[in-house]
Amino acid sequence: MTFGDLLLQQTINGLSLGAMYALLALGFTLVYGILELINFAHFNVFMVGSFVGLWTLQAMGLSGQSVILTGLPLLGVMLTALAVTMVVSGVLGVAIERLSLRPLRNVRGPAAMITTIGVSYVLFNIVLLTAGADSKNYPNPLPPLTWALGDAVLRLREVLIWIVAVALMLALHLFVQRSRLGKAMRATAQDPEAARMMGVEVDRVIVIAFFVGSALAGAGGLIFGLYYNFTSFIIGFTAGLRAFTAAVLGGIGNVPGAMLGGVIIGLIEAMGSQFIAAAWTDVIIFSILVLVLVFRPAGLLGRVAPNRS
Amino acid sequence: MTRAIALLSRPIAAIPDARRRQILIAVLTVAALAFPLLHDNDADIDAAANAAAYATLALGLNIVVGFAGLLDLGYAAFFAIGAYAYGILTSFQVMPPWSAFWEPFAFLYLVERLQQPGGDVVHFTVSFWIMLPVSALLAAFFGVLFGAPTLRLRGDYLAIVTLGFGEIVPIVVRNTDWLTNGAAGLNGVQAPRLFGVSFGVDALPYYYVAIAMVALLIFVSIRLRDSRIGRAWMAIREDETAAMAMGIDRTRTKLMAFAIGAAFAGMTGTFYVAKLQTATPEMFGFPVSVMILVMVVLGGMGSVWGVVLGAVILQLLQSWWLKDLSEWLHTLGAAIGNAWLQQIDLTRAVELIFGLILVFMMLYRRDGLIPATRKEPALNFEQQHAEVRRGGALPLAGLGNSDHGGLDVRGVTVRFGGLVALNAVDLTVPPSSVVAVIGPNGSGKSTLFNVITGLTPAESGVIHFDGADIQGLPPHELLRRGIARTFQNIRLFNNLSVLDNVLIGQHARLTTGPLAAVLRPPAARQEEADARIRATEIVSIFGNRLLPRLAQTVSHLSYANRRRVEIGRALASQPRILLLDEPTAGMNPAETLELAEQIKGLHDLGLTILLIEHKLDVVTRLADKVVVLDHGEKIAEGTPDEVRRNEQVLTAYLGRGTLAKATADA
Repeated sequence: MTFGDLLLQQTINGLSLGAMYALLALGFTLVYGILELINFAHFNVFMVGSFVGLWTLQAMGLSGQSVILTGLPLLGVMLTALAVTMVVSGVLGVAIERLSLRPLRNVRGPAAMITTIGVSYVLFNIVLLTAGADSKNYPNPLPPLTWALGDAVLRLREVLIWIVAVALMLALHLFVQRSRLGKAMRATAQDPEAARMMGVEVDRVIVIAFFVGSALAGAGGLIFGLYYNFTSFIIGFTAGLRAFTAAVLGGIGNVPGAMLGGVIIGLIEAMGSQFIAAAWTDVIIFSILVLVLVFRPAGLLGRVAPNRS
Repeated sequence: MTRAIALLSRPIAAIPDARRRQILIAVLTVAALAFPLLHDNDADIDAAANAAAYATLALGLNIVVGFAGLLDLGYAAFFAIGAYAYGILTSFQVMPPWSAFWEPFAFLYLVERLQQPGGDVVHFTVSFWIMLPVSALLAAFFGVLFGAPTLRLRGDYLAIVTLGFGEIVPIVVRNTDWLTNGAAGLNGVQAPRLFGVSFGVDALPYYYVAIAMVALLIFVSIRLRDSRIGRAWMAIREDETAAMAMGIDRTRTKLMAFAIGAAFAGMTGTFYVAKLQTATPEMFGFPVSVMILVMVVLGGMGSVWGVVLGAVILQLLQSWWLKDLSEWLHTLGAAIGNAWLQQIDLTRAVELIFGLILVFMMLYRRDGLIPATRKEPALNFEQQHAEVRRGGALPLAGLGNSDHGGLDVRGVTVRFGGLVALNAVDLTVPPSSVVAVIGPNGSGKSTLFNVITGLTPAESGVIHFDGADIQGLPPHELLRRGIARTFQNIRLFNNLSVLDNVLIGQHARLTTGPLAAVLRPPAARQEEADARIRATEIVSIFGNRLLPRLAQTVSHLSYANRRRVEIGRALASQPRILLLDEPTAGMNPAETLELAEQIKGLHDLGLTILLIEHKLDVVTRLADKVVVLDHGEKIAEGTPDEVRRNEQVLTAYLGRGTLAKATADA
């Protein structure tokens, strides 16, 4: 492979990873924007979403990579899997908010963050104890279509991942910018107290943020399985940290920022593992996290978060 | 039954508090020392030694999370640093070729010369007892290194950065094979020796070392907690802005917590590796950091005895209870022929239990099993209804210090985005005067205070105090120079007592550092005793309003009393100029009058005061000069009488129509 082709190949890989991280980063950003809370449970909502996708695909009779579908059956299966995964993940997110975070809404200090760590641990271990520690082969009914671009290869699954991710992000962007609830959400992020006085049902806005964020994380989990052909109980931690870095890099609380950050982190991971060493990828990414937080806490696109003290 | 308990507990209740604590500590010490003698089972003693090692980790994290309120999710990284430092310096991992350079080290028994066919090499053999303090220092150094850039961040960002850092350290360890032997781990780590006898693999000597470490770190934790340093940590935890305004250097104080917490972990790392005689990167990952956090949360954040209890419970849970419980279930399953019960293995669910502990403790018992602050009983009826003694300002040393050049603000402008909060404002406060700033809401009064005390940067203009340019200085430095303030919306350290709040006010005037706090030399003892006397004297300015409530948590006080505590806290810093932001807000007329008289008393002592106040009778009573702000501009200045007749002022306060009517009526 020539250097140019290598670069192209890693760009393709990076954009796919980036799409996944962006979907995951959006959940961090939505919740942080409103509650100023780093939601560690989100790490494993993503992981659970991946398993929900797995079980949904299996329930439709798919296992491994043996069954190949085309045309309408493929579309039907994929849309069903996506919808079920997103709804279940979204409901899980809402349940987490209602049961463990709402009672702590007005408690100062790190209590809520510690709770999300606990919830994350619970999800992680429930999956470990029920599904087992071995990684699971992920059903993938996509036909093995590929396009050669020089020596680089573009696969159908990558194109589909991009289409799904862009469609979801576009939908989210329109929802936040155009809809009434989206406006309420932006108002709450600015100032929950003032929004409440203007008749915004803050509790409802928070529930929506958790639902939407968790549903997107679920979609990310499904994409993870389709991209890597496996899933496991451990995938949440690393992916979650990278996605959180993406959210911070783009400017936490900022929706387009999370998308941009996701793509950048995806590209860094792909390029880093090609041109540096996969073993150091996380060191590079965490170093970026620290550097951004220290030198540009507002991120690439964000404004400086108002200090509500 | 309850009567029996009540009857039994009566003699215990009769023992004074301090004595009861001493007895409890003595009993615990004897129990800990006697345990291996009474229970001669190597596996159990080993488990107990591990529990003690985790207790030291929990004590260290408690300083960071419990005392200073900094959520550190990568704490195990410091554990790893201490562990690998000892592991590398006592194993056969790194063996440079022998040269004359190593001779002196060999003489000190730090290295030995190994004969090898390819040329002699150096084998590090640094003593465990040397490495304990060295690892502590090394970990503290890394604590400062990683803390310095990140501690400025908001608390939640700090959590994620420490998490990232906690991930980086094991990855680096895994990827630097030559130094750490990578994922395979360090082997052949030397066991500690004492008087020429190796500890070997017997659990007993490790148990006693671990117990000694726990005892030492409990002692250090308690000494630090009850000192100027501990109070500064708790002030930062309760309200960072107020802590800075009360003279606490935020970065320095946080770094100290980080470094001391890291030192505890580094020391424990050395112990742990010496005990296991091996070290792998997996021993120091995120799950370990979380486990230590669970111990702290379970026991009670900030509670020294609590976190030790938390660590012991979790370790016993892991090494004994879950195993026993699983076995009982297996027996039960065999008895009733249930296959599922026979296979259950609860030890695998230990992390699930950790997660549940975190969630349930946060939801239902945030203070932990042994809360750090004991609730002082409320005052009894008589105390609450005691006749109010007015008190008054006594000529305390350092109060009413007027040998300074006063405050001089020239052309200060502050902009928030497009909004001009202050526009070229001038203000002079001569020594020993009382100047009042008045103006409608949003006119920039509090912004002016924030600029003077360094909380808000000014865009342009100069501020001089006592002849020196003070603009751009950090808040704690301004307090040190004698500028103290109160806040419009009261910013006390809510979970601390009245006494602690006033003591924190003295932070900049006291000198006890961490070492003196632990060792308590006579000078430090004297300083602390004097500080307490002084705090009592300051509180007595408010008569018997606060004096009987010294030990009460301030969040339980009435609004007026909280205002008084805040003023007392500012006075404790021996201010040369006192900035009071609406001191009588929320007080009834009688209380307002009382406080006005007390402020007057301070003024009579010579204290310079800058005052924001809405109640014009208070202003008239106290102020030598009144400055009126409106929309960020100074619209009038003069004696209270002059200002009251100023047309612009009337317009600003009452609107044009009213002014016209007022003029017509006249």
